[in-house]
Amino acid sequence: MTELGNICLWIALLIGLWGSAVAFMAGRTHRADLGRSAERSIFVLWGLLVVVSAALMHALLTHDFNIEYVAAYTSRNLPVFYTWSAFYAGQKGSLLLWALVVTSFGSIALLVNRGKHQDLTPYVAGTIAVIAVFFIATMVFAANPFERLGFTPPDGRGLNPQLQNPGMVFHPPMLYLGYTSISIPFAFAVAALISGKLDTGWLHAIRRWTLLSWLFLSCGIVLGMWWAYVELGWGGYWAWDPVENASFLPWLTMTAFLHSVMIQEKRGMLKKWNIGLVVGSFLLSIFGTFLTRSGVISSVHSFAQSNVGYFFLIFLIAAALAGFGLLWYRWPMLKAEVQLESMVSREAAFLFNNLILIVIAFAVFWGTIFPIISEAVRGTKVTVGPPFFNQVNVPLGLGLLLLTGIGPLIAWRRASLGNLRRQFLWPTAAMLVVAAALAAVRMTDAWAVVAYALGAFVVATVVQEFVRGVGARHRLHGEALPVAFVRLVGRNRRRYGGYVVHLGIVMLFAAFAGLAFKRDTEVTLKPGQSADVRSPYGWTYHITHQGVSQYDELNRFVTAASVDVSRDGKYLGTMKSEKRQYLDSMGQPTAEPATEVAIRSDAREDLYIVFAGAVQGTEEAVYKIVINPLVWWVWYGGLVLAFGGLITLWPSAQGPTPASRRRAEPAGYVAQVGA
Amino acid sequence: MWRRSALSLLAVALTATGLAAQTARDSALSRRLKARPADSLGRLEVPEAAGRGVRPVTAQDNAALVMALEHKIRCTCGCNLDVYTCRTTDFTCTTSPAMHQLVLARLDSGMTEAQVLDAFQKQYGEMIFMQPPKHGFNWAAYLMPFIGLGVGIGLVVGLVKRWAKASPRAPAQPAAAAPAVGATPEEMDKLKQELEKFEA
Repeated sequence: MTELGNICLWIALLIGLWGSAVAFMAGRTHRADLGRSAERSIFVLWGLLVVVSAALMHALLTHDFNIEYVAAYTSRNLPVFYTWSAFYAGQKGSLLLWALVVTSFGSIALLVNRGKHQDLTPYVAGTIAVIAVFFIATMVFAANPFERLGFTPPDGRGLNPQLQNPGMVFHPPMLYLGYTSISIPFAFAVAALISGKLDTGWLHAIRRWTLLSWLFLSCGIVLGMWWAYVELGWGGYWAWDPVENASFLPWLTMTAFLHSVMIQEKRGMLKKWNIGLVVGSFLLSIFGTFLTRSGVISSVHSFAQSNVGYFFLIFLIAAALAGFGLLWYRWPMLKAEVQLESMVSREAAFLFNNLILIVIAFAVFWGTIFPIISEAVRGTKVTVGPPFFNQVNVPLGLGLLLLTGIGPLIAWRRASLGNLRRQFLWPTAAMLVVAAALAAVRMTDAWAVVAYALGAFVVATVVQEFVRGVGARHRLHGEALPVAFVRLVGRNRRRYGGYVVHLGIVMLFAAFAGLAFKRDTEVTLKPGQSADVRSPYGWTYHITHQGVSQYDELNRFVTAASVDVSRDGKYLGTMKSEKRQYLDSMGQPTAEPATEVAIRSDAREDLYIVFAGAVQGTEEAVYKIVINPLVWWVWYGGLVLAFGGLITLWPSAQGPTPASRRRAEPAGYVAQVGA
Repeated sequence: MWRRSALSLLAVALTATGLAAQTARDSALSRRLKARPADSLGRLEVPEAAGRGVRPVTAQDNAALVMALEHKIRCTCGCNLDVYTCRTTDFTCTTSPAMHQLVLARLDSGMTEAQVLDAFQKQYGEMIFMQPPKHGFNWAAYLMPFIGLGVGIGLVVGLVKRWAKASPRAPAQPAAAAPAVGATPEEMDKLKQELEKFEA
């Protein structure tokens, strides 16, 4: 089976090369037979990569430890659930997943658009084939998942204990789906640039893909935060690590695109900017993989740690030259149909929203690569950690939160004073009331006060929009309020789904601001001893150590420390934090014991208890106790955000807006310009 | 009656299967656990399975000054975490506990917070801090995003002003979602049609 997988990988490389060549020839010569061949080569590529993936999965499930990848990431006693996740636990498997998902999405995109966008399709197929060829070539020449060892070990090294968590089963594929689905908008952007068909037609083809990609990235990022929080035991969920930053960068540029594309569809503006954002998002998704695979961030001198890094660097440069080169070539064709008329307009608000998103992306990018720059310029290594990112991004993020409230309500073209008063009177009042209330309860952190006040502003704008929309339907159509609500959302999913996303964003900001009130302490307790920990809300947790027990469980030996918890005298329950010693199939320890956190969560705060260890091998235990306000809001904010994204993504019979449909036809330009 | 008997039999069978499976799964550590008698002193049967031994926490370990200092200093084990987070998270790390002891020793010797940080910088260089110290070239790290923002704002404002001059002044847009008050039936019909169009 593995030999078949290896052979299919090679065949896929050849088919990919063929597909790339004929696709671009088909686009240039308009030969339908070549176009069909290019399209079919994507489907064949997908089929071959399915076989390759099945072969690797078969090797993982049958414990073929002669294969280096299988021996490195699995063991005989690894639960099947995690054997599945070993598929993408290492570099070689994740490259295969990239290639598989790119060709899967590429095939779907070609099938969905069959018969449409005839001038674009060959170039779309060609671009997808080139991306797939890059990943396949990287596997074949630098990171073959079927590479064999010179001997067959009796058991594998097993999966890293920290990866044996349900969050890790879903978080990486979600991120990969997000990264790879950006390839489809990129392919359409390249196709539009090469073919010169730069009306909004290509935007219609990619609208759902960009939303899907953004949704996958959002879910992947939030799942990663959840995994870090429950598994790593440091009491936080975001550490501004280069790998985290790598996933955040394309999310920021995609978010900018989802806003600015509305201006292009509605007003025919920002065409160059939108193509730039799509190209930039794709490059950032490749950059993220390059960053994590090359080892370039730890030091400039560790660049040669992995030769896969060079493959990614070359591809990154080539894709940047191609993408931005084509944009420069078509620059004169991408003139705006109308021009921005006033600083006080929705267009300007969206423009500033884009500006802040891009500046945040730049700040994250700059902070991530600054250690390399410093070492190159001064020969001095510096660390750029969370204090830097928080210092720079908090004010920018708050500016963005303000625009989240302003953008959707302000009028297109030019807002009158009456419009501003009507739209922003209640939200501003809500903001001031919340700010005053927080000042009255003596909330000391100024950033947090601003965040909650702006959050109230945005929530008020969203509520006002729903109330007015439902009220208008109720009055005009005589519908009952719940019916009016459902129809309001159903008739304009993009707009009202967007509002739900904004609510999710406010929930996330509220949670981030809660970090300002985080408290942590360490205590040593013998069985029966207690410690009191005061919450920022004013109540006191009374924590009593019950003892430490040891037992076998699945593929691990567990040492569990239990505490009874009460709050202001009210018993809340028993919490158990563990040390898990993972074992191989012979029952021998594999790595050092991993820590499992005990978490008690509600909407107000989390009580987060970590069993740090036993004192001199006795039941006397050291605990790290963290009180984390509002963490619940991160997970539920993420859910609300994803729900809003789904509403926006849900297919609707109407399709693009009339204005956008007009712009998809060349004649529409005249109509719009003349209007 | 027969149902209860069947359920009892099922329960016995499941328990027996579970026990058999448990015996088969027993690890070497577990066998050690069973071989040892209970210890009245509260000693763990397999102490190494609870990770490295830790020493009891002192008041100094939790001191605000110590925590603040250790949040500023990077652990040199390669984890990218600060000393406090690493020593209270990665219980396999031996570097962060040693650096913690060094912080305590330096404070005990009468050093101020600034002197402790200075001593760490002399020992490890600038990379020991969790963020670049604000001097010289490092200012570029802090200022570049805001310079970018300033340039961006300048560009947008400049462009909008130029465009506004070039385009004829259109009347201000009425509020998008303003409800009509006191409108005639004809106006309401027109509004209804507009709303339909708007929602499409």
